[in-house]
Amino acid sequence: MAGQCGIFSFSDDWEVARFLYYSLLSLQHRGAETAGIVTSDEESIYVYSKKGRVDDVFRDEEQIKTLKGWYGAGQVDLDHKSKLPFSNGEISVCFSGRVFDYDGEKIDKYDDVQLISEEITKEYKKCDAIGCLNNVTEKINGIYSIIAVTKSGDMLIARDSYGVQPLCLGSLKFNFGVVSNESATLDVIGADFTTDIERGENRIINRYTVDKYVKRENCNSAFCSFEYVYYARLDSIINGISIYECRRKIGCELAKQDDIDADVVIGVPETALPFGMGYSEETGIPAHLGFVRTGIHVRSAIKPTQTERLIGVQLKLNPIRTPVRGKKVILIDDSVVRGTTMRNIVYTLRLRGAREVHVRIGSPRIVSPCIYSDLVPVKDELIAADLTDEEITEVINADSFSYLSLEGLERSIGLSRDKLCAGCFTGEYPISWNGE
Amino acid sequence: MKILTIGNGSREHSIVESLAISNIEPVIFNIGSLINPGILELCEKSGGKVVRSDPNDPKKVVEIAESISPDFAIIGPEEPQFHGVPDALLDAGIATVGATANCSMIERSKAWMRRLMFKYKIVGRLRFKSFTSVEEAIAYINAYAESIVLKPARQSGGKGVRVISDLQEYLKKEKRAVKEKHAKYLIEKHMKPYSDIDDKILIEEKVSGTEYTLQCFSDGHSVIPTPLVQDNKPAFDGDLGPETGGMGCCSYRDTLPFITKEEVDDSLKIIKQSVDAIQKETDEKYKGIIAGQMMLTSLWGPTLIEFYSRFGDPEGVNVLPIMKTDFVEVCEAIISEKLNKIKIEFEDQATVVKAIAPRGYPDYRDLAKGHPISVDLKLLEKYGVRPYYGSIDVVNGSWITGGSRSIELFAKRDTIEEANEATERCIPAAKLLDGHQLFHRSDIGSKERLLVEADKANLAREIYLYRKEHNLIGRKVDWIPLRGKIEYKG
Repeated sequence: MAGQCGIFSFSDDWEVARFLYYSLLSLQHRGAETAGIVTSDEESIYVYSKKGRVDDVFRDEEQIKTLKGWYGAGQVDLDHKSKLPFSNGEISVCFSGRVFDYDGEKIDKYDDVQLISEEITKEYKKCDAIGCLNNVTEKINGIYSIIAVTKSGDMLIARDSYGVQPLCLGSLKFNFGVVSNESATLDVIGADFTTDIERGENRIINRYTVDKYVKRENCNSAFCSFEYVYYARLDSIINGISIYECRRKIGCELAKQDDIDADVVIGVPETALPFGMGYSEETGIPAHLGFVRTGIHVRSAIKPTQTERLIGVQLKLNPIRTPVRGKKVILIDDSVVRGTTMRNIVYTLRLRGAREVHVRIGSPRIVSPCIYSDLVPVKDELIAADLTDEEITEVINADSFSYLSLEGLERSIGLSRDKLCAGCFTGEYPISWNGE
Repeated sequence: MKILTIGNGSREHSIVESLAISNIEPVIFNIGSLINPGILELCEKSGGKVVRSDPNDPKKVVEIAESISPDFAIIGPEEPQFHGVPDALLDAGIATVGATANCSMIERSKAWMRRLMFKYKIVGRLRFKSFTSVEEAIAYINAYAESIVLKPARQSGGKGVRVISDLQEYLKKEKRAVKEKHAKYLIEKHMKPYSDIDDKILIEEKVSGTEYTLQCFSDGHSVIPTPLVQDNKPAFDGDLGPETGGMGCCSYRDTLPFITKEEVDDSLKIIKQSVDAIQKETDEKYKGIIAGQMMLTSLWGPTLIEFYSRFGDPEGVNVLPIMKTDFVEVCEAIISEKLNKIKIEFEDQATVVKAIAPRGYPDYRDLAKGHPISVDLKLLEKYGVRPYYGSIDVVNGSWITGGSRSIELFAKRDTIEEANEATERCIPAAKLLDGHQLFHRSDIGSKERLLVEADKANLAREIYLYRKEHNLIGRKVDWIPLRGKIEYKG
């Protein structure tokens, strides 16, 4: 998965590149491996993408100035092989997801972006923008989130029928239309939330019209549950649900599963802080800050290599002494993928004199990879797919260890399992290879 | 009885219709720059006719009027008022419903209007600055102006307004560039054709909140309100797209679901005080229609954004068709200054009006122009939806689109949602015969949209009521290094 955004200005006196830059910054947590922006002024398409974080890729002020025009799109990715936006000079595409089959033919991973770009280009020559998008998306078997811009002044937006990845629309009144995975982007550039892009919706924005066409397969939503637990920003509203409220409720649900006589609740920053607050609110056990970060905020779980992840964790988490010394601690984190991070945290807490460390995880057991992205690694790298809770307790050297139940997650989000994609927690996916 | 109507849009179509259904059965005439098919049909049926002429030219209008010798005239749009058409008609001895050139300054000059509100200390006023030169305007923008509205100082068909919120320091450069470009455009291009006012552009403080329009009849003594209407200015669904004259409106009985009775009363008070002030300034009676385009803001509560010296378009099309009182009677009461003697009543219904425009409107009018259009009246009848024709010209019997909104569909029902559904079913009734496309806004009057507006209203209300309680209404306090505390009292 990735972070995607697009801006379409209705008058050509705007330069949108810097707005796209800040939009991407607001989505940095969705992928820090590559970043890219495309813009157009109806004369040319201007693209720049590179490995690195948004502020590294666009460190040079001149780079932003070369991205001319009043409409464009951008993408940050957690796949370091991604080279998005993909451009052929006429059309440039931001794509996130996974196409399994196209028009009945099996598509290999990494071929999907190019294929979708070529197909959009082909159809775009034959019909108008909305017709083009309809023809292409109809043939996709897979999940996708697409934002594309054309040299002739169209912005194309599409979201699959399951709506796995979120996408919403906003408006800077009379000036811009804005699209992004997360509503926080709208806040960051000063736009107002308008509506979610619906599941199965194709939408076109140009100077003359905002066209929408919804053709939904007969299916329930399959909103990514990882968005709620971990991926999305706290200040975003995803599919109409506040991420902050959801995470606070996860903390409450964890507390309801427990009966521990502890002295302090500590959430691991940043994601698990509201879990800790919710847990404390429910039990009355005081919540404290437990760690201070060194350096920039790095999402350690989605760094690609083990060493990078460990460096991330160690820099991120220097324990504060007083809330820990001699205390019975309830330590809450968002997920346990490989167990390395957690073992390290428990170890440092014990070094600082914690008497007991009870580890709670604000998500259900991760047992299966994400087949749509690199967000969750393959099965043999997942500790929970291999070990029981008792074994994990030993491995991380905790006094007790437990996960949030799937039912607890459903209650926290406010949606039942049949409306969510909980593939990483259950191994059941809404859509996979054709016929499987 | 003979009545002359001026103007050829959807608003005038509904004015003519309201006159046509009067018990007095008047003979109706119309002067417009286009031959509006709806107005044409109604006028001819009444025994009158439609004359193609320049409705902004007082001499031509008086000439035609004298050949007709109507009992009274009614002016639809604002431009004829700005050009002194009502004054010329009155001079020729023809009673007229419609603000005179001087009274219509309330709409024509946005600077005059703002100064008036300050001079008479009318609540709901926004801080502003007016400029005549690009250099001064740009200097001001660079020194002070953050979140602002840039407007042409003269009403110019609702065009040229730019709203730029500028709260993010990191996006200042781009926003400042657009503010400068727009200020330059307004002064050097947009205002070029207008020499009838001194100010060129206005920079106003930007406020936010839900918007609504309160349209009133005035006879120089009484100001009588019509039901509250909400217009939607952005061209496309979801409040996206450039600013238009209005893509559709809804109303619900005498207010809107998200505006309180007290807020309606406060808004009416603002309009009444303004009419008094206009009359004091001009020494003329305000006889016609005055409308306040309002916003519920956290700063003031009901806040005046702009005045119309006529019915809004589409807003007028919401209220006239549900007026139970005979419109001719209302016009006569305005003329004879006896509005207080009649009771003006409206049906207890929700209304939705949706504008349909050819692709290209509002910014690329040449694209929108010149397409043959047809309307399936049977489909409209089936759902009890009425068409009000706008920018359509009858040329040799064919209907050809002008550059603006072609048609407005009107529905009344018990709820806004139902009225919205009825108009939505009738959208396919309008078709361009050459394959060019029409567009409209499907979200106006939808449940989701109403919830968004209600949320905006509640947010503003919570704050302005608190401010009111603490005597902070209309006040803004700032502290500037080396200068100290500064208080703006509006």
